[in-house]
Amino acid sequence: MRLPTLLSPRSDTPISFWQTSVARWTRALLALAGIALLTGCDLKWWQMDGHQSTLVTEGPVAHSQAQLFYVTCWVTAVIFVLVGSVLAYATFKFRAKTDADEHAEPPAQSHGNPLVEIGLIAVSVIALVIIAIPTLHAIIFTHDVPAERKADAYTINATGVQWWFRFEYPAEQISGAGSLVTSNELVIPAGRPVRINIRTLDVIHSFWVPKLGGKVDMIPNRANFLWLEAEKPGYFWGQCAEYCGDSHAVMRFRVIALGPKDFNDWLDKQLQPARTVTAQTAGTAAPKAQFASLRKFKQNETGITAKYDVNPLAAWQELQKPDANEDAALIARGRQLFTEKTCSACHAIRGHMPGGSPAYPDLTHIGSRSTIAAGLLENNAEQLQRWLRDPGAVKPGNKMWVDGYVKNNIKLTEADEIALVAYLQSLK
Amino acid sequence: MELAKSDFIPKDEAAAQKRKVLWTPTAKSGLVMWLTTVDHKKIGFLYGFFALIFFLIGGVEALLIRAQLAFPNSSVLTAQQYNEMFTMHGTTMIFLAVMPLSSAFFNFIMPLQIGARDVAFPRLNAFSLWTFVAGAVILNIGWFIHAGPPDAGWFGYAPLTSKQFTPDHSTDFWVMGLQLLGVASIAASLNFIVTIINMRAPGMTMMRLPVFVWMTLFTSFLIILSFPAITIALVEVMMDRNFGTGFFEVSLGGMPILWQHLFWVFGHPEVYILILPAMGIISEILPCFSRKPLFGYPIVVFSGASIGFLGFAVWSHHMFTTGMGTVATAAFALATMAIAVPTGVKIFNWIGTLWGGHLKMRTPMMFALGFIWMFMIGGLSGVMHSAAPADAQQQDSYFVIAHFHYVLIGGSIFALLAGIHYWFPLMFGRKIAEFWGKLSFWVVFAGFNITFFPMHFLGLNGMPRRTFTYDPNLGWNSANLIASVGAGILGIGIFIYFAVMVYTYFKGERVGKDYWDARTLEWSLPNPPPEYNFAVIPTVHARDAYWYEKHHQEEIAKEKAEHAKAEESHGGIHMPNASIWPFVTSMGLLLGAWGVSGVTADPSPGIHAKLAICLAGGAIMILGIYLWSLEGNEGYHIHLDENGNIKEDDHGHGAGSAKH
Amino acid sequence: MSSHATTIDHHHDHTTSTGIPNKKLLMWAFLASDCMFFGSLIATHLIYRLHPPPGTPSAREVFSIELTSFSTFILLMSSLMMALAVTAIQKGNVKSCRWSLLTTIFFGCIFLGCQVYEFNEFVHLKHLTISNSILGSTFYTLTGTHGTHVAIGVLWLLLMYVRSFQPVGGRSQVSYFVRTFVHVAAFIVVIGLAMYAVLGLVHTLQGGHSMGSWVSGHWIAVLGLLAGLVVMNRLAQPRGPIEFNEVNAIDVESMGLYWHFVDIVWIVIFTAVYLLEYL
Repeated sequence: MRLPTLLSPRSDTPISFWQTSVARWTRALLALAGIALLTGCDLKWWQMDGHQSTLVTEGPVAHSQAQLFYVTCWVTAVIFVLVGSVLAYATFKFRAKTDADEHAEPPAQSHGNPLVEIGLIAVSVIALVIIAIPTLHAIIFTHDVPAERKADAYTINATGVQWWFRFEYPAEQISGAGSLVTSNELVIPAGRPVRINIRTLDVIHSFWVPKLGGKVDMIPNRANFLWLEAEKPGYFWGQCAEYCGDSHAVMRFRVIALGPKDFNDWLDKQLQPARTVTAQTAGTAAPKAQFASLRKFKQNETGITAKYDVNPLAAWQELQKPDANEDAALIARGRQLFTEKTCSACHAIRGHMPGGSPAYPDLTHIGSRSTIAAGLLENNAEQLQRWLRDPGAVKPGNKMWVDGYVKNNIKLTEADEIALVAYLQSLK
Repeated sequence: MELAKSDFIPKDEAAAQKRKVLWTPTAKSGLVMWLTTVDHKKIGFLYGFFALIFFLIGGVEALLIRAQLAFPNSSVLTAQQYNEMFTMHGTTMIFLAVMPLSSAFFNFIMPLQIGARDVAFPRLNAFSLWTFVAGAVILNIGWFIHAGPPDAGWFGYAPLTSKQFTPDHSTDFWVMGLQLLGVASIAASLNFIVTIINMRAPGMTMMRLPVFVWMTLFTSFLIILSFPAITIALVEVMMDRNFGTGFFEVSLGGMPILWQHLFWVFGHPEVYILILPAMGIISEILPCFSRKPLFGYPIVVFSGASIGFLGFAVWSHHMFTTGMGTVATAAFALATMAIAVPTGVKIFNWIGTLWGGHLKMRTPMMFALGFIWMFMIGGLSGVMHSAAPADAQQQDSYFVIAHFHYVLIGGSIFALLAGIHYWFPLMFGRKIAEFWGKLSFWVVFAGFNITFFPMHFLGLNGMPRRTFTYDPNLGWNSANLIASVGAGILGIGIFIYFAVMVYTYFKGERVGKDYWDARTLEWSLPNPPPEYNFAVIPTVHARDAYWYEKHHQEEIAKEKAEHAKAEESHGGIHMPNASIWPFVTSMGLLLGAWGVSGVTADPSPGIHAKLAICLAGGAIMILGIYLWSLEGNEGYHIHLDENGNIKEDDHGHGAGSAKH
Repeated sequence: MSSHATTIDHHHDHTTSTGIPNKKLLMWAFLASDCMFFGSLIATHLIYRLHPPPGTPSAREVFSIELTSFSTFILLMSSLMMALAVTAIQKGNVKSCRWSLLTTIFFGCIFLGCQVYEFNEFVHLKHLTISNSILGSTFYTLTGTHGTHVAIGVLWLLLMYVRSFQPVGGRSQVSYFVRTFVHVAAFIVVIGLAMYAVLGLVHTLQGGHSMGSWVSGHWIAVLGLLAGLVVMNRLAQPRGPIEFNEVNAIDVESMGLYWHFVDIVWIVIFTAVYLLEYL
């Protein structure tokens, strides 16, 4: 319509931007880009129902927080619509539509209206009170286990370490070894309030399982705690939510909630020392061809397969049972390598490897965990081998790489890796 | 730049140089002029120049972040590089882009709005500028040296900043860089406070100050009262790292939570330091383009004051997840809700200003209206955060990123971009073409919303901040891709904006005085304003002083003529001398800070060289201060002819001229 | 500038909007900011006092309240001298002002000397170092920051004293620059050597060593001190009209504000850090 505007940007005519041809092209391009984007994307993100959704919640603490969010959301949305309509109306009603409008006599030079202002202030205060009351209620509720359920609460100590989580069950004592300890996978009883003491061994981390409850920071020299409850058995995603250095992004964990019987079974199994596989116990089937599908991984290649999205709890339960076709000789070789390659200097395997250090993950039952490397990789042979081969590439700056492989100059052959994988997988 | 059109050179300059022991710089152009200038307009220009460069650098860092996050598990950046990017993006945008850009307007516009010829302490002003540059250099030096850029986050939570967890010097440079920026900000703010309280033109009572000046005053107070907290916190980190103290050292019983308190006692007022200047700019633009006064001026002013005051009482809402207990959490939640009231009041007043006006839809107005919309969204999501239990889910998630980018880009940056458009004709005598201005606005507006709106959903869907990668099965892929595409569009918009601005600076159409038919005193000046600003110090009779002048021309002309005569009989227009010493002092600080950042507790090879650098820096700084105070500040006088041209200029010499 | 001596109103500056001189306002604003600096440091100290980590030495066993009370008294007296200096220059009495400034410097130096002595004793006898406990970290950082403020104040006083000799038109004379530089240098040397000699003397007396050992170890310092005093005395001789009078009262007054503030901060530190331990 008015192409010259483009060619002579100095023009002073205040014509509407939308009347120009460039604007039309821009609009068309934007529309195209929008359509391309929308067709290229699935629209599920709009529903916010991912594994770490804070709105599709599965426990009373998270419910309370989500409900409060909806209260704030509605109150602010109403305010936005009201104020926005007035703003939009004022903008269109009073805008100078023509050149003549702009140069007309200025409007009345009014300075304000105290009554209107005081009224609006009062209205905003009321809106805030609507938010404040449920906020105060939720602050009390989410702070600690409700008094009437205190007796039923199960206590767990969670400790953040660069870049993994250590979970300790003070109620489950093992003679000579202290409390039951596991790493990166927290198993809790469903339907019972769980009170978690939040600690850290080094820098600040944060314990966050969005579907079960908001986060609480793990701060040095500070005794924090939180409580949460899973209403039903389930498999939940958790993540460190406070920047803690190089591999903060891949400091993840899982929470598995089990019904009363399953939980007790699990505890019984965990209280056992590590499983020893001999030729007699290995089962009758021929040893499986472990690494037919062995392959190289790209940097940052995804380490989780779809089975954890479809039915994670079932996938996790599958891992609790020993493999049918274990190769006892290979496992024995792996166990030997675990000491030889100084793995045992850091990692404790109760019953096999005494010592170790609480600063490094306990591997007593690592074969029964669904993930390795702090929730980053699925616990299967090829991912385990990927992890053992080059931990630094999987998880930048991690201590196994820096303080282990590099400092002690650890070199693993492919055969070593395979033996170690077989050994670790046998630790159900 | 042609701020000072005078090419007048004193006739007996050579003789003057002989008589004077210390060099009085008189250059009117070239590098020497820029290094020695004490003119608030040139200093403002330099602040803006450096701020915009760092704004672009911070923008590139942001684009790299978005490139990495466009797809799950991608490898555009390594974890280390990503951490450096978000640390430097945050630090750069806050300390090296938005704050100095606000400072550019404080410097350039504020003295003009109150009818002053300069700030109260022109050389201190130059010192602030060059110390800011020194701090910026120290912060960014890591890109070029072995230590690498800082990577502990802009918030630097202890104990991640301790020697144990970040053994290299990147954190030392971060600490010293922020210290220098603190010195620069505090010095500049002290100057602005004195200027606003003491340098107002006759009749410019406090309740006649333009709102932008009020916001400058509040911001300055916030800076001088909040920066000490971070300065001390940084001193403690520095002592921990270099001298083995135990402030945040857990093995000695130190409590890292203390860092968070000190940091946010600074950090929350800092948020208002970033937004109040923007609110000031908006409160100038809306009345101008609505052609009617600001609605409810006293309430806008007092709400600014209460925001500044309450800003010191809400810091712990950044720490709702640190286990503060129910009482503290409830108290800070309620205080945070309370601060929404004065903020909301401002929005009501801006809409009230539009109501019944003749809205001229020019580019500054577009950005200003965009500001109101975006700030409303950001402000309301801020109210959501005040509900502490809900915040336990949102804290450190992308919801927070969405929130504060709505406030800082949709708020601060939109307002600053509006301000550049608005004051460009005054600063440079050229105007930015409407078409290109509006194009850049719409592209920026669209790109901004496409980038940051989906982040609300990402955050509620559980995506944590400061993560260099994410798995594809968490439902974050689409929103991240959309955000990254949006970031590209935003980048294009900003590029258009800057390209047009640079083009206009050199080739834009020249315009006359008072291009927008504006209301405040700075528009009474020819553009670009002469070095002495006002040929006659104006007498103010009303709020919106220039609007009044325009509507009472005869009376004002008579008054001005009288005052001009009176002033000439007092020896002419008094101007401060240029000086190199503020620059020298700042460079001493730069050198010293560089040396200090490199020093280690254990005497390692090269320690003596580093100590020598520290000492040399200290010596240069002390020399700078010593000669600065010895040189005195007599200044010189300018005499104007009837047309306002410089008739005579006794540049820093001539018997009796220096005193009156 | 020196001709209209009688009509100056010290409390009102007609060139500013409020009548408060710019320098004074700047100093007030800076002191507001400085309050927050000390506030943060004192808060840090008190927080760790409330949450002492295990193994923190008892502050009461480390501190010697008698010495600190003495130095506190001295600092208070220096504030009195500072106030006298301001009054003197407002009345145009340059000579009296100089003597008051010198006394203020003298008292300030005694305070600093006490602090040096105290730090030395704490580190070597009481084994409280900056890095062996949180108490050491907060104590040395807080009192050290205050000591730095006093030292800057002393330096400022000293420069003001030297400046009070500026001859009319002094800034255009090379000789003035040289003389000023020598004057400042001599002053700093005198202070340094005096503190060295006196602290050495105290050490000798406390250790029960003979005076002879002090003399043999410090005679060069004492000679240097005397030489410095002679130089200072020479430079302080009147040599024609000077450019320092009641117009400069605002400079002295701003400096006084700073000095009093540092003094008040010390009262707070003395209460919060020392006296609190004796409750």
